[in-house]
Amino acid sequence: MRALHTAASGMLAQELNVQVIANNIANMRTTGYKKQTAQFQDLLYEHVRRIGAQASDQGTILPVGIDIGGGVKTVGTPRSMSQGTLAQTGNDLDIAIRGEGFFKILLPSGSFAYTRDGSFQLDAQGRVVTSQGNPVQPTITIPQNASGTTINAQGQISVTLPGQTAATVVGQIGLTRFINKAGLLSIGDNLFQETPASGAPQDGLAGADGAGDMQQGNLEQANVEAVSEMSDLIAAQRAYEMNSKVVSAADQMLQSTSGMFR
Amino acid sequence: MENTLLVGLSKQVALERQLDVISNNIANVNTSGFKAEKSIFEEYLRTNAHEDNFVGADKRVSFVQDRATWHDLAQGSTQLTNNPLDLTIDGDAFFVVQAQGGERYTRNGSFQINNTGQLVTTDGNVVQGTAGPITLQPGDSDLTVSGDGTVTVREAGNPQANSVRGKIRVASFDRPQQLVKSGSNLFSAPAGVNAAQATTSRVIQGAVEKSNVSSVGEMTKMLEVMRTYTSIAQILQQQNDLQKTAIERLAEVPA
Repeated sequence: MRALHTAASGMLAQELNVQVIANNIANMRTTGYKKQTAQFQDLLYEHVRRIGAQASDQGTILPVGIDIGGGVKTVGTPRSMSQGTLAQTGNDLDIAIRGEGFFKILLPSGSFAYTRDGSFQLDAQGRVVTSQGNPVQPTITIPQNASGTTINAQGQISVTLPGQTAATVVGQIGLTRFINKAGLLSIGDNLFQETPASGAPQDGLAGADGAGDMQQGNLEQANVEAVSEMSDLIAAQRAYEMNSKVVSAADQMLQSTSGMFR
Repeated sequence: MENTLLVGLSKQVALERQLDVISNNIANVNTSGFKAEKSIFEEYLRTNAHEDNFVGADKRVSFVQDRATWHDLAQGSTQLTNNPLDLTIDGDAFFVVQAQGGERYTRNGSFQINNTGQLVTTDGNVVQGTAGPITLQPGDSDLTVSGDGTVTVREAGNPQANSVRGKIRVASFDRPQQLVKSGSNLFSAPAGVNAAQATTSRVIQGAVEKSNVSSVGEMTKMLEVMRTYTSIAQILQQQNDLQKTAIERLAEVPA
């Protein structure tokens, strides 16, 4: 009975849906996290009686046919790249991006990754690094005796050196844009990597080319909305239940068939 | 006497197929832009036998035949997502996408942008505008889609003005029932069915159209199918018992 397999495909899809929602809720407090949504499509149809087929030699055609669908499939779990809200932390090296861009990070492997998580630190050499210790690009070193680190909206880092009244600019953090941000590959640790779908990275500066500007002392919160996740969770759970009911209905029908002749 | 069995069997075959349709609807209860399928049954009268000794109305036997499934094209509920690339059509029209094998029509407006800046479906099929694909330039931001489908952005070089990037094609059909579902949320138009530019529908940005499957209705129908199937199975069983008894009784030879 086909209904069994159709309902099974529905259960599988809803299971995946709950998995995606669970990951969103688990990352509700992850800085720079972008939520994912599971998207579904119907499977192929068997056209038992095809619409428009000739119904008689008088030239009449069937106005409607018989289409039996085979269930559902998951087509993707695209990320919603919308802006998360900013939370003030007061930490000098916490930077939030308001706009489209990403911070560019140099990985130990020599390749680049991109992130929206701007909770940076200084390493032993005074370089600006991520929480994993990977340097932010271009590499900026803050002198050991400097104080009063200020980062402006364009990403310029200026410090006050001892014996000087004017601030000194030690570098400018760049921002990278992608034409299709949703096409980036998540590699965990709040990092993304470029893919053929995302398009080539366009390195630029904050405040130019729509890359957005920077807010020192703030962090971008996850763009997960608790209410919508919870309602999606309920919907997914109920859909799963309904599909399992179809399985038991099909099972009962089969049972009554097999029990027909004693 | 075999008629009962055959009539019952015809109904059971039809019910199984109806359950297939229902299960596909329920499996797609969370599929954006999905349109439910409904089954239609009809009576199939057996033709009269020519060399027929019986007279009266009891000689006509009617079977059940599954006639058709039709698309329930009612508007699904709208879920706000605030994603600028999620579009919904308010009205009975379709987005046009270029898929392998030609133009296809869809109600699922959760679009993406591909690596060349074109507006595409989640499958990567290019969404058609009134003059070719909608292509965004690097640096474009604040994408806005107006009610008639016009896509405007703020260009990097000229942030004050709105730059038009195209107009999304919205197609309507005189007889949308003639569209054929080809899976992946797509409908295809058979030969001779032509899409017209929709005039009465409106594009809404930041929302997706959910599946229009009514879960309560489908569950009720499913129970109905199941119970009918079971009761027919019972009738068939009783008929079988009847035949068995008849054979046993008639075969009893008085000593």
